[in-house]
Formats: sequence, C-alpha cells, structure tokens
Amino acid sequence: MIVETGHFALVLAFVLALIQSVVPVWGAVTSDRRLMETAAPVANALFVLVALSFAVLTWAYLASDFSVVNVWENSHSAKPLIFKISGVWGNHEGSMLLWVLILVLFGSLVALFSGNVPAPLRATVLGVQGWITAAFLLFILATSNPFERIPQAPIEGNDLNPLLQDIGLAIHPPLLYLGYVGFSITFAFAVAALILGRIDAAWARWVRPWALLAWVFLTLGIAMGSYWAYYELGWGGWWFWDPVENASFMPWLAGTALLHSAIVMEKREALKVWTVLLAIFTFSLSLLGTFLVRSGVLTSVHAFAVDPERGLFILVILCIFIGGSFTLYAWRAPLLKQGGLFAPISREGALVLNNLFLTAATVSVLVGTLYPLALEAVTGEKISVGAPFFNLTFGPLMIPLLLAIPFGPLLAWKRGDLLAATQRLYAAFGVALLAALAVFWAWGMRQVLAPIGVGLAVWIMAGAVAELLSRTRITEIGLSRGLSRLVGLPRSAFGTMLGHFGVGVTLLGIVMATAFQTELVRTVRPGDTFDMAGYQLTFTGIAPRQGPNYTEQVGHLVVRQGGAEIAAMDPSKRIYPARGMPTTEASILTFGFSQLYVSLGETRDDGAVDIRAYFKPMITLIWLGTLVMSIGGIISITDRRLRVGAPKPARAKTAGLSPAE
Amino acid sequence: MTLWILFALMTGLTALTVLMPLRRGSASASDAGAADEAVYKAQLEEVDRDLQRGLVDAAQAEAARTEIARRLLAAHKQNQRNGKSAATGAVKWAALLPALLLPAGALGLYLWIGSPDLPDQPLEARLQSNPEGQPVEVLVARVERHLAANPQDGQGWEVLAPVYMSLGRPQDAAQAYANAIRLNGASEPRQSSLGEALVVAAEGLVTADARAAFERAVQLDPAAAKPRFFLALALGQEGKRDEAISAWKRLLDGANPNEIWVPAAQQELAQLEGRLPPSLQPPRGPAAADVEAAAAMSEAERGEMIRSMVDGLKTRLEADGGSVEEWVRLIRAQIVMGDKDAAKASLAKARETFAAEPPALDVLRQAETDNGLGS
Amino acid sequence: MTRKQRRLTLIGIAAVVLASAAGLILYALNDQIVFFQTPTDVVAKQIPAGQRIRLGGLVEDGSVQRSDDAKVSFRVTDTANTVAVTYVGILPDLFREGQGVVTEGIVGPDGIFRADSVLAKHDENYVPKEVADALKAQGVWKGDGASAQ
Repeated sequence: MIVETGHFALVLAFVLALIQSVVPVWGAVTSDRRLMETAAPVANALFVLVALSFAVLTWAYLASDFSVVNVWENSHSAKPLIFKISGVWGNHEGSMLLWVLILVLFGSLVALFSGNVPAPLRATVLGVQGWITAAFLLFILATSNPFERIPQAPIEGNDLNPLLQDIGLAIHPPLLYLGYVGFSITFAFAVAALILGRIDAAWARWVRPWALLAWVFLTLGIAMGSYWAYYELGWGGWWFWDPVENASFMPWLAGTALLHSAIVMEKREALKVWTVLLAIFTFSLSLLGTFLVRSGVLTSVHAFAVDPERGLFILVILCIFIGGSFTLYAWRAPLLKQGGLFAPISREGALVLNNLFLTAATVSVLVGTLYPLALEAVTGEKISVGAPFFNLTFGPLMIPLLLAIPFGPLLAWKRGDLLAATQRLYAAFGVALLAALAVFWAWGMRQVLAPIGVGLAVWIMAGAVAELLSRTRITEIGLSRGLSRLVGLPRSAFGTMLGHFGVGVTLLGIVMATAFQTELVRTVRPGDTFDMAGYQLTFTGIAPRQGPNYTEQVGHLVVRQGGAEIAAMDPSKRIYPARGMPTTEASILTFGFSQLYVSLGETRDDGAVDIRAYFKPMITLIWLGTLVMSIGGIISITDRRLRVGAPKPARAKTAGLSPAE
Repeated sequence: MTLWILFALMTGLTALTVLMPLRRGSASASDAGAADEAVYKAQLEEVDRDLQRGLVDAAQAEAARTEIARRLLAAHKQNQRNGKSAATGAVKWAALLPALLLPAGALGLYLWIGSPDLPDQPLEARLQSNPEGQPVEVLVARVERHLAANPQDGQGWEVLAPVYMSLGRPQDAAQAYANAIRLNGASEPRQSSLGEALVVAAEGLVTADARAAFERAVQLDPAAAKPRFFLALALGQEGKRDEAISAWKRLLDGANPNEIWVPAAQQELAQLEGRLPPSLQPPRGPAAADVEAAAAMSEAERGEMIRSMVDGLKTRLEADGGSVEEWVRLIRAQIVMGDKDAAKASLAKARETFAAEPPALDVLRQAETDNGLGS
Repeated sequence: MTRKQRRLTLIGIAAVVLASAAGLILYALNDQIVFFQTPTDVVAKQIPAGQRIRLGGLVEDGSVQRSDDAKVSFRVTDTANTVAVTYVGILPDLFREGQGVVTEGIVGPDGIFRADSVLAKHDENYVPKEVADALKAQGVWKGDGASAQ
C-alpha cells in the first residue's frame, strides 16, 4: 500500500503540473487575479506530492522491498544504511525523480519567498516551472518509472555498483542537480518576462538570488565530483574534460556569465535582452547536460541509463524547451525596451567583456563536447577530443578574462577611468610580480609557464583584496575610520571579493599541481625505498584484508623525512564479489596544502608490486578555491539590500543621459 | 479499500489547493504592479543611505537618483495602464480543471500504469510471516538467515542441502552437506550426497573432491549403491575402461532391477563395452539429467517438493512411529522452515509416543529448549 | 565618443573576441583531435609513424608481458589483425586479457604502437563504445544490444 501511494502521488503530481502549466499563465495573460493566485498553493502541493513519492521510494530501499523493480535492481539487503539511501538516486529512475523533486522544491521556494514579486510575473514563472515539471514527470511515468513492480518479489537484490558506494558519490549528484535545476528558475523568469513583454531592473533584483543559489550548488557539485575522481579513480587526475564533466561545466560557465550580466541589469538596467538570452542559454545547457548523461549517448561511468527510447524522449523535451524558448525570444525580445547607456571603459563594459569571454569559452567547450558526437552521427568517423583541444581553446580564452578580473570592480559605473583603476592596482601588480619572480628563482627555466601562471593567480587574489581595501579608502583616511567603512560595506562587496579571490586560489592550485608535481611509476619489492619530493617511502609489503562487502590487497609504506618516520600509507586494491568488480583505493597524505598520493598497480607473482606515486604541491587549493567562491556566493545571497549602481556623472554634457534608444 | 479511500483523500486535498484560491473572491488588483515600484523606492532610500555612509559622493548620488526616478516613473505609468484587473468568466472554467481533470486524469493514468493489487513486500516482514504459500526462495532465505545466525546448527544444514540441490544450486548444496558432516558427523548418505552435489556442480564430472567423498561413503557402508555408482562412473571418466567395466558389473550384480539407477548403470556398461553406437551415447553423465529434471520443475512444484519432504517424514512418524531422533529431526525441520506451531504439535505427539520412555523424554526436553519451544 | 562610436567599439571588441575564439576552435579541431582506429585500420590505412591515434580492440589472450619498472607490452586485436603495443605505467583495474581496451599514443617506426595512456572504463560489463562498434563490424561482438548503445 505504501509503495502504491507513492506511485499515485507521482501520477497526481503529473496531472497537477498540467493544471499549473495552464491556469496561472492564463490568469497572468488575462489579468485575472484569482487564476494567478492558484500558482503558489499549487507549487507547494506539487512539492508535497513529489516529496511524498520520493519518501516512499526511499522507504522501499530501506525496507528492501524487492517487489519494486528499481529496488531489486539497485539494492541489497546487506548494504550499509547510507548506501541504501544514496542508492535511491544511484540509478537512472531514482535520479530522475530526484531531479524533479529538486525542480518542484525550487518552485515551492519561489512560491514561498517571492511575495515581493508582482503577481503576474510570479504566476507566469510558476507556470513555466509547471511546463518543465509536467514534461519530466511524463518522462518518468512513461519511460523510467521507479514504481514498477514484480508480482513475485525476488528474495535478494542486485546491489549497487561498488564504484558508487562512496560517500562522495552519495552527495555529488544531489548537489549537482541543485545547481542544474536551480537555473530552471532563472529560465522561468526569462520566459515569463518574454511572455509578459516586460523586463526592468526590478526583474534582475528578483532573479539574482536564484541565479546565485544555483551557481553556488553547481560550483560545489562540480568540485565534489572532481575530488571524487581524484581520490577514487587512482591516477591522480582531477579533471579529464570528460563529456560528463563538460556537461556540468558548461552551465557553470554560462551561469557565471549570467550572474555578472544580472548585476549590470539590476544596477543600470542595461544588457536586458542579453541577460534574458543568457538565462535561457544557461538552462538549455543544463537540459543538454541532462540529455548527455541520461540518454547514454556517451557510454561512460555516469551513463547508467542505456535505453534509446529514453534518449529520444529527453531529446524531444530538449528540442521543445530550447527551440520553444529561443523562438519566443526571437519573437518577443525586440519588443523589450533598451536600457541604460555606458561607455566601453566602465564597469558595464568590463562585465560585457567578462560575458563575452565566458560565452566564447562555453561555446568552445560545447563544440569540443558535441563535435565527436556529431561527426560520428554524420560520417561514422570516431574521434576523441581530449585535453589538448581544450587547453588550446579554453585556455587562451580564459587568460584575458583572468587578467581583467581585478580591473572590473574598480571601474566606475557608466564611464570608468582605466588609469585610476590601474593606479590602485600597483600594489597588487607588485605582489604578483614578486611571486612570479620567486617561482622563477626557485625553479628556473624548467617550467617556463609556471611563473606566469603563479603571477596571474596572485594577481587575481591581490587584486581582489586591493579592490576591497580601496573601497574603504583605508590609505587615505587611516586605519580606524577605514575599518569602520569596511564594516559598513555591503555584504555583496565581500561576496565579490571572495568570489574573485577563490578563482585566484583555484588557479594557483592548478598551476602548482600541474607544473611541479613529481610522478613516479615503478615496481617495488618489500624493503625497497624510493625518494619522492624530499620524502623517503619504504615499501614494507602487501597483505590481504577482509572488508564488510569486499576483499582487498593492502600495500604498506612507511614515509620518512630526514630519517624520522612521519606517517604510514596503505593504498589498496579492492574486489567487490557481488559484482566481481575491482577498484583502486589510493592512499593520500596531506602536508599543508600539498598531497602525497600513492596507488597500487599489478601485483607480480614474486611479491613485487607496481606502484604509482605522486607529490602534488598545493593541489588542495583547487578545491579550497571553489569553496571560497561558494562562500562568496552565499554571502552575496544574504545581502538583501537593494543595490544601486551610482553612475559617474558626465563632466561635459555631451553624452546625454536619456536611457531610451 | 483503505487504498482507494487514501487515494480519494489525496486527490481531494490536491484539488482544494486549486479551488481555494479560485473561490476566494477577487481581490483588488490595483497593487499588481506596485512591487517593482517598491523596489525602486527602496533603491532611492538605499542611495540616501550610501550617501550618508560616504560610499558615493553627492554628484553620483544625484545621478543615481535621477536614473531611478526615471525608472520609477516608467514603471508607474505602465502599471497604471496594465493595472486593471479583468474578472473574467475564466474562473468558472478553470474550476472545472481541478474538479474534473484531476480526479479523472489521475485515476485513469494510475489504473493504466499502477498495480493497486500488489501489497508492499518489505523483506523483513516477508521473512517473519507465515511460511504457508510462500515461494520456495523465501523459505530458503529464512533458513539461510537462521543459519547465518546459528552456523553450528547441523540439522539446519541437513534440511537445506537437498533443497539447494532441487533448486539447481549444487555448489551451495555441497557446502551445506560439508557443514552437516562437520557438525553431525560423517554418514554414508551425507558423504554420498556431498559427492553427488560436487559432481552436479562440475556438470557431471567426478572431481577429485567428489571421489574422496564417495570413497569415504563406501568405507562407512560398503554395500551402498550410490557411492559405488559414482566411483564406477569416475573410473570410466578417467579412461580406466577395464576397471570401470568390472566395477559396473559388481554394482549391477545382485541389484534390484527396479532401482532407478539401474538403467543408467546398464547404459554406462553397454557404452564401455562398445555395445552402443555413438549416436545413442548419452551426451552427459546421469547427474546432469537430474539437474535438468530439477530445473524443469515449476516454482510451485519445488515448493511442494520441500514441503512434501517434511510432510512425508511427519506422516511416516505419525503412522508407523520412529526413533526419537527422527522426531527431533522433524521438529527441527519445522522450526527451520519457520512453522513454530507445527513444531509444537510434533513435540506434543512425540511426548505421547514416548510417554513410557524417560530417556527419550529427556531427549525431547533437550530439543524443546534447544529450539526455543519452551515456555 | 558619440553613442554610435561607443556601440561600434563594443561590437568591434565582441567581433574580435568571437573571431579569435572561432579561429582557435577551428585550428584545434584540425590539429588536436585524435582519430579512433582499429588494428585493421592501422594495417590497411598505413598510418604514418608519429601520428597520434587511439587504438582500440581486445587485449589478445596470452599476449601481456610485464617487465620491471611497470613496463608492459601486449597485443591489441580485432580478430582480423593485431598490433603490438608497449606502455609504461599502471594499467587500469579492468585491464584484462580478452577484454576491450582503448589506448592512445603513436605508431613507432618499427610498427610497434607506443601508448601513453590506456583506458578501460570502470564497469565490469563496460566495453568502450568505439571498441564495441568496431567488434560488431567484425561480427565478434556478442554483448546484448542494450549495453552497446
């Protein structure tokens, strides 16, 4: 009865989503307030129904109800509790249900926290959410129903892929989905603005927190996935330009651009049409990512779903939403009023530059991801587009953007003074130059690009701090007054500072770990000692060990520095008998920001074993940087103040202030 | 019935979320556009605060105010134009959606794809419930759980082993027989069955382990037919033709021709003596045929087979009587199958039977405490 | 600057950025992509020594030879033709004889393929998509249709 209640709740949610798709929008178009008012309660009811359905599926996993096909296929009665829960979304059907749950959660949040949004806009936004919800619920019910039953229930399930039995992968998909799906709100706002034919600075004010929220979750989700790949896959890489990674990275790039253009729109009412386009583009990329991962067109670890019918279904949803919204855009966008004016050298100009580079970078990733698929579909020729392609396209597009980051916040709105901004960055430039010289002095010509990279990273970090300090005018008015000004700064200023600082931190990690890592692959026998970046590692032997649902061969190494024993490392190779699947468990030691990483390879008959060891200087900065960025984002969200971009008045009257064009 | 009441309740509550706002009567719509004006007014106040804090200078503040005021004016104008709320007749039509579409659509779709007749089947509850009418896999799982908790229960292994064989899990059956031998001691039938399970697991090949088991069985009971049958088969498989022929002859000599293994033995002998054309030669050993027979059984037949094994023992003991050990074995089997009431009944019957024999009653009392039937 | 000049400046910058992005992408697509080849392709197309390719197929049974310092050599086959491969490093968990594999590297002048990466993805039943397709073409693939999609 419980299971069927969950199933019925899902069916009910689908029909309710159909109603939500029609009634509020109808009300908004005909200005009928009562119709519009249905939007919020229906959005909440949708959330309750889908949450009930999800809770029921979770119950079926916890109770090992193998009469549910989905549970039978992906669970096992002896699985640890945490993986019974994470098993709910460790498979295609469950993860789609989670996707929709997060979608309706955002709908419900909009219903609860958008009391200040005009009724027609709110009703239309929730209506558009209703379209997406209905489409994906139909997809679930028609092709991926998690509540399918077996009359004769088997007595034991098939267990979850051991690679997914990991705490990192238990939280990675929900975080990523919170990001992916969060951009559905900005999409709904954009489509609603197009339908209602009205868009202004207030619109951006309402959209900003949602875009920030989605962006923070996406940032954390991507970072988590990257760290998981680093420690679980056993070869020390943290980014592979794998299509699945790209699928989450593209919405992040576009979403970052959206955050910045929304600032311009909120403060200066410029870039309206562009912001709307970007909002549509970002969610389209989220949908594309969902399609790539869920349809199985890229057979890889993430593709649990291998069913052409599903792929086709998502493709149709994709085409309807992307095609429909772009058509709507082409039709309605010219009717939107243009906003404020600005000079090329200005805060707006800097943000346009940011958008330009981010969008171009997004497109380069998009091409690299889709080109092999398209080429294979058209000519049958199989190619792989790997790191070299992205290093050559994405890299050069990022460098000017990164160089420009510190300038942006220092330029005034409307018309900026590049010279004045540069003067305020002298100190930051000096620090960066010193850092670059220090790296050059320490490592010499061995790594030509490393000093430049480190200099760039320090430039961004120092620039972020310099911007904050210059806003306090601490050098002009003294420490105590400066500090009181610092406290008085809007929280969004700290958000900006941390966001940009985090980019620098991540870049520093990337440059250091890439340029100065030491790698060593060798065959060792018990008693062998080798050197690794100033540490002496002694291999003492390998022994079998029995885990709860696996057996493993554990190697043991003693780490010494200057003769003193400082740590032990136990990398292992596991076999999960339920699926006969081996995994490599690397052993990682952290020293400050740097890490020593050891994984095991093949064991020889004579007791020798292949070992792969890395020293990765400052690698943890890569993920710490994303954490800093996310904290910046959260601080910005908590800034509830209505911000205004005070334009710098024209000295001469030549440039008219009339905003309408 | 409860299910449908619950569904009706859910549908009703959901429909209310749409109907309530529709019935609430038309509120004034004049504030429809006021929200954006509020944002601009708040922005104006923010400019004043920024000016006080010294974040912007007077000229910048003035420019900002001008811009915001212009937006405010534009928003106000537009709101004036759009502000009229049209209380259309759409409400009536809209109310029909939740009233009709919601129940009809949800129910229709659910009846199409749902399984309202299927109850929940959480594993724990299935393992606790009455064994009557449960599929054999569930019964096996119950015994497995019992044995996982009490691995020293030799009787349990003994009950489980033939079930494994009939389910086509010879590897597990061999393990179970080995456990039974370890815990209950070696006997000819156990050793022979262990050997047979190993042979089936090896798809008819008499492996070294199987051979050792049969040899021990023959030591325990030199007259037993089953181990000698397989040992003869092993000789044939090893290519020791003459020894095999004499082994088969010794086996068939004086055997009751009605025994089921006799035709197979005769066929083996005929084949070894070259009296069969190759086309008639059995493709695999007789053990493989057994497995096929077991595999061909339907689910129900298999369940029936296990129950009939226990029931057969019960009927025989009740009709013809038997040793106290056999009664204990029956009680044990019933406990292991999860049928506590039947076990209690058997215990009572055994007490009646052995009322006059104090040593047997002691054994029964022991069995009662061992199996948790006391109190 | 007049309004028109401002707009032209912006459009000009945008055009420059987009054009250079497009240029980079086109250049990289010409130069940095790696074609997937089967051993039959390598033999039939006479792939010049030094060109970077991805070679996929099955690891031939009994062909894996290890020597010290994690050097390994094996042969990749699509049942019709076979290419010898050498690799230094740790092989992925699922690298096994008789299983599918994709290696990336260059063909040496001696005809031996020098791999610098070996991929075998993390799923027991997983056969790299390219390999599955190539083997299907050879009629060797016996996996069910679903897992090859």
